[in-house]
Amino acid sequence: MGSAGSYGVGTGNSGAYMTEIAEPVRFEDEIRSLIQARFDAPPVSGGSFTALLGLSANQAVGLLHEPGAGEVSASAAASSPTGLGHPLGWSPTFPSNAGLAERAGSFPVFAAVDSPASSSDGGPSPPLKAEPSDSDSSPPLPVPIDKPRRRPAKRKDCEKQKAKGPAKKMKTAEEHTEGDQLPYVHVRARRGQATDSHSLAERITGTALVLDEIINHVQSLQRQVEFLSMRLAAVNPTIDFGGLDSFLMAECGPLAASNGRGEVALDPVSWSSDPAPGTGLRTDLRPSQQSSTAWVYPYALINHGTSLFGYGAANSVPLNSNQSKTDL
Amino acid sequence: MISPSSSSASSSRKKKMKRAETKWRTAAQERIYRRRLLEALRATASRAGPRAVKEAADSALALTARGQSQWSRAILLGRCRPRRKLLLKAGGKVRRGRRRPRPAAPVPVAAAAPAGKKVRDRLRVLGRLVPGCRQLSAPSLLEEAADYVAALEMQVKAMRALADALSAASLNAAAAGEAESRVV
Repeated sequence: MGSAGSYGVGTGNSGAYMTEIAEPVRFEDEIRSLIQARFDAPPVSGGSFTALLGLSANQAVGLLHEPGAGEVSASAAASSPTGLGHPLGWSPTFPSNAGLAERAGSFPVFAAVDSPASSSDGGPSPPLKAEPSDSDSSPPLPVPIDKPRRRPAKRKDCEKQKAKGPAKKMKTAEEHTEGDQLPYVHVRARRGQATDSHSLAERITGTALVLDEIINHVQSLQRQVEFLSMRLAAVNPTIDFGGLDSFLMAECGPLAASNGRGEVALDPVSWSSDPAPGTGLRTDLRPSQQSSTAWVYPYALINHGTSLFGYGAANSVPLNSNQSKTDL
Repeated sequence: MISPSSSSASSSRKKKMKRAETKWRTAAQERIYRRRLLEALRATASRAGPRAVKEAADSALALTARGQSQWSRAILLGRCRPRRKLLLKAGGKVRRGRRRPRPAAPVPVAAAAPAGKKVRDRLRVLGRLVPGCRQLSAPSLLEEAADYVAALEMQVKAMRALADALSAASLNAAAAGEAESRVV
């Protein structure tokens, strides 16, 4: 069993698993804290690139598009043809620069490639994220332009290291707080850097790096699924479906508590006592899976005796397929 | 499914994105998937083989997605042909990417020219990784990828727990059997 198992195969130890995903989890935490402010949503637990993608799906593409997608910013639409269309020769007109920098600011991964990786609060981020939605007004200008100030210094490091996503996001917040306090005089210098050919090119590779991360993550997840399926295939012949209470009841602690004691007590009893009718039981449960409270009903039915279990496999299969069709 | 570039569409997509992120995290979804996974595994006990297990697990995952995402529809259609029309009604074109690999390079229309060849290449690779998303536009592809990643993480978690529980149970059974035989 201990073959090719780079993902903790055969260890059966969730600790090993946690260490190997420690980095993406850190990654996710930091992204999530920033996204929280953006969406004003309850924290997403254990989010991966989803949080990142949640922010960037439109803005990333808006950045990628040459003709400005109107959703990113109003000014970007007017200035985009001159903005991204001429990476080598940026037009000296300020509106295009501002629009470009604004759009850059709207994509935090690009705009804040470097900054000391410290914890960010929700405070700096909402004004930061809210700004790209504003039309061409002066307040947004210092913020996105503030970031390129430090960019040339640290960009090389960030380019070499791929897993800089969380650091980038953190720096967004950091630089923003500084941008508020700095006087307007500095704006002009940083604007030039924002639309510099090098900064543009490196901003684009930021997307490539992020996509690379996403691809690696998907590939690693798929590989893990494959290894786990190998493990399960090895275990399958010796399966004992009776002792699966812990597996089925895992992660259900809070929910079970909210639904009442009866559910928790019933489940182990039902599963362990009747492995064969378990299939029938499960298909009965599926039609009533509307909410977690609906679990109470099928479990209540268990108490009424084995009449339900008499359905057997023959009835449960068509029930299952019917339900699947209606679900879809 | 090329999304129009309007603020209303983007805001609705953002809401959909939020739902995609959070919907796979709920314990209810986990439970639903775990039960489906168990059922699928029981069905494949006859056909031993890791590939059958993986396919069963993926089908169970796609079922749990309820056909709301492109990749889930692609997985389900990859298994069952007769359901194709029914799933097409659910909305969305599905390509038989696995049966007939397309020789032509995909041309994602909406992501016409991301400034950077690297970006385009990576988008294409991502499209190949996510089932059924080879010819999607960049925003839809990213959306599908987000949903797919969330689903995969849940799948890995569930399968790991199941493998651990089963191996522990089989160990216990073996130990108990041994102890009994020794006593006798």
